[in-house]
Amino acid sequence: MLFWQILIDGFAISSLYALGATGFTLIFGVTGVLNLSHGSIMVAAAVAAWAVAGTFGFGAYGGAFVGIATGFVLSLATYFMIVRRLQETRSIREEEKEIFILTATLLWGIMLQEAIAYLFTNNAKTVLPIVDGVVSILGVRTPANEIFTAVICWAAIGCLWGFVNRTRAGKALLAASMNPRGVTLLGFELSNIYIAVWAVYGALAGIAGVLLGMFLGVSSYSAGPLTASAFSIVVLGGLGSVSGSLIAAYVVGYLETLTAYLVSPAYRAIPALLLLVVVMYLRPRGLMGRR
Amino acid sequence: MYRPAKTLFCAVNLSALVLAASMPARADGDVIKIGVIAEAQSVSGSSIPAAAQLAADEINAKGGVDGRKIEIVTYDDHSSSADAVRAFQRAANEDHVSAVIASYISEVVLALEPWSGRLKTPMITPGAASDVITANIAKDYEHNKYTFHGYLTSGSLAKLTCDAAKTLLVDGLKMKTAVIMSEDAAWTTPLDAGYADCLPTIGIKVLDHIRFSPDTTDFTPIFNRIEGQKPDVIITGISHVGVQPTVQWKSQQVPIPMLGIASQATNSTFWKETNGATDGVLYQAVSGPDVAVTEKTLPFVDAFQKKYGNFPSYAGYTAYDEVFYIAEAIHRAGSTDGEKLVTALEATDYVGTIGRVQFLPPGDAHVHGLKTGAGLISGLFLQWQDGKQINVWPTALSKGSLKFPSFVKTSASQ
Amino acid sequence: MLSRILKSREIWFSLIIVLCAATLPVYVSGYVLGLLTIAYYFGVFSMAWDLLFGFANEVNFGPSFLIGLGAYTAGILDSLYQPPIFICVLAGVAAAMIGGVVLALPALRVRGPYFGLTTLVAVLMLQNFVVVAANLTGGEIGLTVPDIISVDDKVNYWLALGFMTISGLILYGLSRSPVGLILQASGQDTVQAGALGFNIVKHKLAAFLVSAFFSGLAGALMVFYLGAASVTTFVDVTVGVQVIIGAVLGGRRTILGAVLGAVFLIVAGEALRPLGELATFIVSAVALAVILAFPGGLLGLMRGSRGAS
Repeated sequence: MLFWQILIDGFAISSLYALGATGFTLIFGVTGVLNLSHGSIMVAAAVAAWAVAGTFGFGAYGGAFVGIATGFVLSLATYFMIVRRLQETRSIREEEKEIFILTATLLWGIMLQEAIAYLFTNNAKTVLPIVDGVVSILGVRTPANEIFTAVICWAAIGCLWGFVNRTRAGKALLAASMNPRGVTLLGFELSNIYIAVWAVYGALAGIAGVLLGMFLGVSSYSAGPLTASAFSIVVLGGLGSVSGSLIAAYVVGYLETLTAYLVSPAYRAIPALLLLVVVMYLRPRGLMGRR
Repeated sequence: MYRPAKTLFCAVNLSALVLAASMPARADGDVIKIGVIAEAQSVSGSSIPAAAQLAADEINAKGGVDGRKIEIVTYDDHSSSADAVRAFQRAANEDHVSAVIASYISEVVLALEPWSGRLKTPMITPGAASDVITANIAKDYEHNKYTFHGYLTSGSLAKLTCDAAKTLLVDGLKMKTAVIMSEDAAWTTPLDAGYADCLPTIGIKVLDHIRFSPDTTDFTPIFNRIEGQKPDVIITGISHVGVQPTVQWKSQQVPIPMLGIASQATNSTFWKETNGATDGVLYQAVSGPDVAVTEKTLPFVDAFQKKYGNFPSYAGYTAYDEVFYIAEAIHRAGSTDGEKLVTALEATDYVGTIGRVQFLPPGDAHVHGLKTGAGLISGLFLQWQDGKQINVWPTALSKGSLKFPSFVKTSASQ
Repeated sequence: MLSRILKSREIWFSLIIVLCAATLPVYVSGYVLGLLTIAYYFGVFSMAWDLLFGFANEVNFGPSFLIGLGAYTAGILDSLYQPPIFICVLAGVAAAMIGGVVLALPALRVRGPYFGLTTLVAVLMLQNFVVVAANLTGGEIGLTVPDIISVDDKVNYWLALGFMTISGLILYGLSRSPVGLILQASGQDTVQAGALGFNIVKHKLAAFLVSAFFSGLAGALMVFYLGAASVTTFVDVTVGVQVIIGAVLGGRRTILGAVLGAVFLIVAGEALRPLGELATFIVSAVALAVILAFPGGLLGLMRGSRGAS
């Protein structure tokens, strides 16, 4: 019973982690940017969905749509207003751009977080779920929403996989992550690829944010921990490796769930952090890293 | 390479900025200033300055205190004790407030307590609950006597919860077992001890005791462990969290009712924040939207709603009362001197929105805590029912009977 | 080395500003002094971070790990046994320096974002520890320490100013010394610097130790100024973020600029306090605008030159 319980709960939370981390790692793989406003964008998407669905009465679907759109718009705003300007400027030395992008996206994340707290208070909010009720799986009373979360996460990841492997634009994107110069030689405009990848990222972050809002709820405080958890999953899996991130998401998700069930919810985050430190020492490029 | 003149210029600019920031309107010495330090971004905290302002407006409309107007100076502490300490220093040293109303977070109030003594500025908390606040005053009265506890201590909260549980659960629903579930924070340590003490005396056996980190977002494992114990009821102690456990309680259809302290549930917006998941949740409060605890309660709620468009949080009621009895104390003391004000506040006997306010005298283990009991402050128990907060205890003020959502099994219905 | 520092006009101007600042207690209120006291401690945090980043080229996301270790060790010791304050402070410094070694170990192995992450993890671990060991640390929001250095604003102010000045002189001197140059060289090209016969490991370790020394000392002193230690003041990632933003905003690789940035952040945050909840938003927006428009930071802007090269 407990075994099935852990298996089912762990799966839902891990799928959510996987979706959140996929976009993050995609951005890093293709554009070399660690976007530290990641958590804030997810929270903004969830809070937008909450406000539209509840306060303005557009229902669960309307809320979810606006939430995803919010993630999309904010992601492109992050790229055009901040990242692109820093990448193209000549007044910063190349090797220092990394710290500038990190600092700038962090500041941007803080601005989003503060704006959310100002407009909607920092109390936690839960997005009106699209599906309600509970289902019994192998004797475990599982909220239907949990199954819904896992299904949508995998559908989104599946779409991404299809896009990258089956379409021309997707293949260019994949190629760009391996060798940016080579892609430009093939006639692709690198900046178009960047825009595409930020757009894909925005949609993924938006979906992940809205699902998180339905499943567990978010507050403006969640922004920091969400960024940190995406960051650690991505590093654990190997920076830039999507499949590595997926595996790492499940490792972290199950490790947390096991700890919460078998030891104590208070220690939930600790074993995953320890694992991360160990991996850092033994295999610094992560589980499936190629850089 | 450098341009010294420019450097100096900027430095002057910076200091000008500092000076501009430090120049308050100090023109009228006739005004009585009361500082309000609160968590502007949280629902519980945001009512504090709003309610205090409302009280000040009402006092000023009637001519103020001996002809002096009251001015509320507000500070946002971002739920951080360091920010609160800075705000307190600013209030006392810079804005020269006569008294401070501060915070609903025990940790913040505990950090301010020594400063209230050091700067000899009386401070009253409208919402913190830790017993340690009053215990500190008892331990070192001379230094800490400037702090007053304007809300119930955790010990009293636990006792009131047990009183209500006796009527509602033991007598009403024949319940026998419970699990205590509370967040890990300063205020819940004495609360949990109080629960563990008094629940057995009313005939409820405590099966388990779960403390979780206020950072917790996924409550599935916690509810699971509780369900495994098969208790009749979950006795709660939550304030920093609220939405997430409540929503997950409903989405997982945990068949056990929740009763206890759930500060966020006292807010009128809680139904909306939880998408109605709070239906059936029982929580302790000092006042409720439709309950005339005293003749002042409902007029206050109406005025608050008219001015701000929502209902006050629990700390709003106490903050509102505090402005009135600080004003009374200043009138009686005939001075805003810290020491004299403390003596005057100790003599407070004021009927406010939550009951009759009197402080425990020096010598008591909880000196400067509120006296509780019938005729003083007895508290209420409310239940969320179909989007409304319905008072169910004490019976004399009750507006309805218990009603639970269908997934909750109570002993009576089994 | 000393003569070279003394020849730097930047140092002389800074000292003049410090002298002016030392007279502030004569004409400004206790509140402004209290604010600047905090700002000066943050200035030290930022300078210590700049030494690691600007000169050893290590992006340390965990300045608050070192600060927190210093602050909490000192605070816990005081709340448990009440030894004289300087013993608590020394213990805090020692703990921070041990923390510095712990951080330095991965830095010698992994680079770039990987190192950044390890430091971030260090902060999260410390934060978890503080929350879990609540009966020792006071948990989520606070540990109240029984002793403080002084109630007098002026004493605290001069102490912080003096501490910042001395720290600044030492760190600045270090950055301009041969050691600083070796660090800079090894930060930019480890292999080449190693080939030139410099002991990179020794120098990097030293940089971490120095950074930890000043972070821990400032953290411990700040505890005894505030009379309280809490996660949100000393350990939280946002504290580290503020330190980093202060250093980058002031002008990286300048040490002195870090003070400017940190003081700006704290003072601006407070000056905007009447705006209430929007203050942090505006300060972040201004800092972001400065970083986008003037990557050299405030000091770079004042020098009128591009960057700090």
